[in-house]
Amino acid sequence: MNLEPGAKLTADVSHRFGTFLVHDRLRFSVKENEFLCICGPSGCGKTTLLDMLAGILTPSQGRILIDGKPVNPKRDNISFVFQEPSTFPWLTVWDNIATGLRIKRTPSDEKRRKVGEILDLVGLRGFEKHYPHQISGGMKQRVAIARAFATDADVILMDEPFVSLDQPTRERMQREVLQIWEHRRRTVIFVTHNLEEAVFLGDRIIILSAKPARIVADMPVPIPRPRDPLAPEFTDLRAKCAGVLHALHTSAGEQRSQTAA
Amino acid sequence: MMENVEAVEPLPPAAAARWKTLTSSLPTILWNIGVLLVVLILWQLLTLVIASPFFPGPLAILQSFLDLARNGDTGGNTLWEHSWASLYRVLVGFGLAIIAGVPLGLLMGLYPVLYARTRAVLEPFRFIPPIAWIPLAIIFFTGLTRYAFLIFLGAFFPVFTNAAVGVARVEPIHRKVAMVYGASKLWILLHVVIPTVLPDILGGMRVALGAAWLTIVAAELAGGISLGLGRMMTNYAELVQIPPIIVGMLLIGAIGFLMNEALLLTERYLFRWRWQVKL
Repeated sequence: MNLEPGAKLTADVSHRFGTFLVHDRLRFSVKENEFLCICGPSGCGKTTLLDMLAGILTPSQGRILIDGKPVNPKRDNISFVFQEPSTFPWLTVWDNIATGLRIKRTPSDEKRRKVGEILDLVGLRGFEKHYPHQISGGMKQRVAIARAFATDADVILMDEPFVSLDQPTRERMQREVLQIWEHRRRTVIFVTHNLEEAVFLGDRIIILSAKPARIVADMPVPIPRPRDPLAPEFTDLRAKCAGVLHALHTSAGEQRSQTAA
Repeated sequence: MMENVEAVEPLPPAAAARWKTLTSSLPTILWNIGVLLVVLILWQLLTLVIASPFFPGPLAILQSFLDLARNGDTGGNTLWEHSWASLYRVLVGFGLAIIAGVPLGLLMGLYPVLYARTRAVLEPFRFIPPIAWIPLAIIFFTGLTRYAFLIFLGAFFPVFTNAAVGVARVEPIHRKVAMVYGASKLWILLHVVIPTVLPDILGGMRVALGAAWLTIVAAELAGGISLGLGRMMTNYAELVQIPPIIVGMLLIGAIGFLMNEALLLTERYLFRWRWQVKL
């Protein structure tokens, strides 16, 4: 596999659970500091893909390279924001945010500085000593995002991080993530099944088919930020993505009815 | 910069919280003291009706308590020496049970295969009451070893079982968070598994302490060294003196209660992050 120039992460993987093919030769790369959104119908193995990208699951075939070397969580600096609540209930907000730095054995004065900076950035200043049960769900997810950005990660993986939040909170969090990302440029891979979210956030969008997942579209988002979800260019791109997904649905449906007949 | 518009439960200053707890529990404390006094007075009045050496009143028991505390029993051993002897044995056996039970329980919880394959050997021991081991212990051990052995048997299983069962409560997502950052297995054990299981372990310790205290009294009643609360009570039973026996009983209750309270306080302090616990 050749490393594309400027690529931070390169993936070329197929994965099966037993004999069941989940991913059918997914091949893509992400540039340094790029914000990539991956969309697909539910059950297309998005979480499995992220586990492989994080290096905690080995693909049955192929490899994932970060800076040209196989991904390794012990060496590479990877962060992950999960869909479900993932803060440690026995740690305060401060200690939760410091978790990644602690595992990476960051010297304590550097750790204090980094956690302090990110606390300000996510607006959790004043809540350092709170425990997760004392803050709202949105704030808990903000703690998880702060934890992910605190480690100066090479790659930040986000697995539908706002799916359990209500619409206004969700929209605010999307703007907040962009703000943090603009302050702290990082390579981000953001998985979502919400096209509006993908068009709002991403530099680029990859659309996956249902299992076995293949890449059916890989398109840039040439809209300058801040993006207005009501602008024609925004709605056009969203419609285009929706068209790709819709075509997938109908062809899958036809296949099913053919096999049934 | 982002603003915090979400509702947050404010953290009251610690001192204010403590004051609030004290004032809100004050009526309960007063009620308890009041009920206790009423019972004691009724009991004392009853001894005026049933005047018999086999039915001593609270005052006679208090008298006996002071006498035992100051002058000691027939062998010259004071109440404190007896209490300390029992307490010391409990602490040794209980400590050994924790040292063995926590790591073994964690091991069995982390590797359920180990437990599944050794179940037939381990489980039957759980159903042999420690008291049933007394005859064997009398034959094989003497002194502290005998008591520590019996208490260990009583205290081991609650700690062991709770630690093993608690491991299942570890959230896969917490393990995954640590793994993504490249955490070692040891880090996950220390920072994910143990904090999750600790509440279960402390719960097991409280049960174990109850079992240990129960066992020590039974073991001392069965004979052996002349020190210990159980031993003291048997001596007075042979002399048919009831007040010292009741002093022993009440002291056993009081010491067990205090140890349980100490563990409860530790739990509340350690697990203040749990929403179930309001300080």
